[in-house]
Amino acid sequence: MKKSKMSVARKKEAVWGWAFIIPTMLGLLILNFYPIFNTVYQSFFKTGDFGKGNIYIGLKNYQNLLAGTGSKEMWQSLWNTVKYAIIEVPFSVIISMLLAVLLNRKMKGRSAYRTIFFLPMVCAPAAVAMVWKWLYNQQFGLINNVFHTKIAWISDPKIAWIAIGVIGVWSIIGYNMVLFIGGLQEIPGDYYEAARIDGASGFRQFWNITVPLLSPTTFFIVQTRIIGALTVFDLMFMVMDKTNVALSKTQSIVYLFYQYSFTNGNKGVGATLVVILLVFIMIITAILQASEKKFVYHN
Amino acid sequence: MNYKKLIATAITMGIITCAAGAGAAAEGELTVNIWDNNQLAGLQSIVDEWEEETGYSANINVVNWDQYWTLLEAGASGGQMPDVFWMHSNTAQMYMENDLLLNLDDYIAADDTIDLSNYYEGIVTLYSSNGHQYALPKDHDTIALLYNEALFEKYGVDTPTDDWTWEDVYEAAKAITEAGAADGVYGYAVNTSNNQDGWYNIVYDYGAQIITDDHKGTTIGSEEGKAGMEMVRKLLTVSTPQTMVAESGTDSLFQSNQVAMITQGSWMVNAFYTAEHGADYKWALLPYADVNGNGQCDEGERQSSYNGLGWAAAANTANPDAAYSLISYLCNEQGQLKQSERGITMAAYIGASDAFTTAFEGLDLSPFTRIEEEGSLYFRPYTRKTTVWEDALQQAGGFLDAWQNPEDAELMATACDNAQAIIENAIANE
Repeated sequence: MKKSKMSVARKKEAVWGWAFIIPTMLGLLILNFYPIFNTVYQSFFKTGDFGKGNIYIGLKNYQNLLAGTGSKEMWQSLWNTVKYAIIEVPFSVIISMLLAVLLNRKMKGRSAYRTIFFLPMVCAPAAVAMVWKWLYNQQFGLINNVFHTKIAWISDPKIAWIAIGVIGVWSIIGYNMVLFIGGLQEIPGDYYEAARIDGASGFRQFWNITVPLLSPTTFFIVQTRIIGALTVFDLMFMVMDKTNVALSKTQSIVYLFYQYSFTNGNKGVGATLVVILLVFIMIITAILQASEKKFVYHN
Repeated sequence: MNYKKLIATAITMGIITCAAGAGAAAEGELTVNIWDNNQLAGLQSIVDEWEEETGYSANINVVNWDQYWTLLEAGASGGQMPDVFWMHSNTAQMYMENDLLLNLDDYIAADDTIDLSNYYEGIVTLYSSNGHQYALPKDHDTIALLYNEALFEKYGVDTPTDDWTWEDVYEAAKAITEAGAADGVYGYAVNTSNNQDGWYNIVYDYGAQIITDDHKGTTIGSEEGKAGMEMVRKLLTVSTPQTMVAESGTDSLFQSNQVAMITQGSWMVNAFYTAEHGADYKWALLPYADVNGNGQCDEGERQSSYNGLGWAAAANTANPDAAYSLISYLCNEQGQLKQSERGITMAAYIGASDAFTTAFEGLDLSPFTRIEEEGSLYFRPYTRKTTVWEDALQQAGGFLDAWQNPEDAELMATACDNAQAIIENAIANE
């Protein structure tokens, strides 16, 4: 008697459990898993117009992009994307960590400051790109006019990638800062008290208490931001015109994907680019995961 | 507790109704997609009159050119196209061959107000495939020289006349660029992307063709092509540097009075008329290239590209009768005259464009119609997948390198050879 009562109740629970999970599961299957398999599938085809008339060509797309006529452009774009990630991730993490520590103290207007620093996240990325595009304009831009410089911020192949990186850092500082503040709340204040009693300076407290205890949060942020930075597209697309001479040294892999898939209608090559990027990100993530033990301090 | 529940329910209901309402157009209302904001007001007035006369209704959406085709293609692949929309030479063949456009043959046959022989032949043929007509010609446009009268006066240079050659343009641009160096003013501006409205015309003046008449090849790498691009190179030496033009665009630079002359198309008239200093902007006949050196304009020496958009309907539209009714109203003689009179664009209906030249008070737009009599027109170069080679020509590996270093004549000649290869490869892969 007791046994059957338990299983009925558990069955009911199980049913309700599934009922609540099904919407998300369906969404994941239809909108995430199916497109992933379809993309990999399409990378083996020369795609026809409007999804009809695909011709199977095996690994030709991969050959073309990894070693053939499209390879120079592809490897340059991959390198451009890595360059962008090299600027966005370290700088945004360091700056937002400092900001989080500063904004975690008891101070007047703390909420106001936190809101101000978080505001860039609220702005639409396209709007952000448009404003920065005109800030960087070499003739009429605010930056050149306020500092009386004549630098071609987004047209000089040598510095355009840095300029775009700056926009990336600016947009993501608020988001990282909020995550860091959350991580800081978890550090017990006793450590700081004990350190102060022992006479440790502010810097030593930061370096020896805050940084190690914040490392799980830092690791999470670094990992997700690397993945996010490697998929950047809207900044290059909206800030730089397609006739910009610095474009080939700044365009990201996803920009190349957009150009092949949508402007040129060659979705097979676009799918191949996406698969290449996916493999690259997986390698980086695997390396990061393997090195977690070394960098992250767990209690 | 109850109060909170009430608010939560209200918000949820609100979101659900918004989501449901956002996509649904009113019952039987046609969705009409266009990409030119300048034409919206005028077209809306014609559509309003159509709505009154027929009792149907339509809603015009403006989708920016850069997103227009992506959106249309996504709609085509997903089965959700707008009912009526503009067609363009870049993609017309692709859409027609994939049966995405409504076949208008029967409608046209039954329609007294539409006779295809009244329209520019090039445009009619563009929108027909395998003997069937898939779109009605909407307009045609030509190119003219736009100049800033105030800047010419300021630097003491004579304004353009009908007998100007490109050499005269070069001389005037040189004078203004030198005189205006302190103010950052240049005499001329052209980007690699100003093709239909810019350097294509010079190439044709010299006798080469970007795409040959059979749409299967190019002569850009020939002696004539290189001569034409050499003239472009000469102009570039007195023009706004390419990096500046790439960042700001020739139109913005002109409207900021930083450039004295550009070439532009008749579809841009309104944008410049309504600009802040619009009163200073005047249009002149597109210059010619005196290739045989006899001091006068001969056959083929003055060329302007012309293009014609078409009004098409989706093959799977729910309201084909209403859709054709709208298309017919916009393209019959009355609709075309209205389009000219209201300064929207010039007509595809032969002879209905004269009203356009006087549609803007105080502005003489005759250069756009006189080019047809005093020069020749060539159809905007297109192939089955135009954007592939068109974009490649504008970027590194195409003409971009030559634009960066206008002092180096070798670069421009190499670029012509590269362009030849790019176009031939692209056509081979179509």
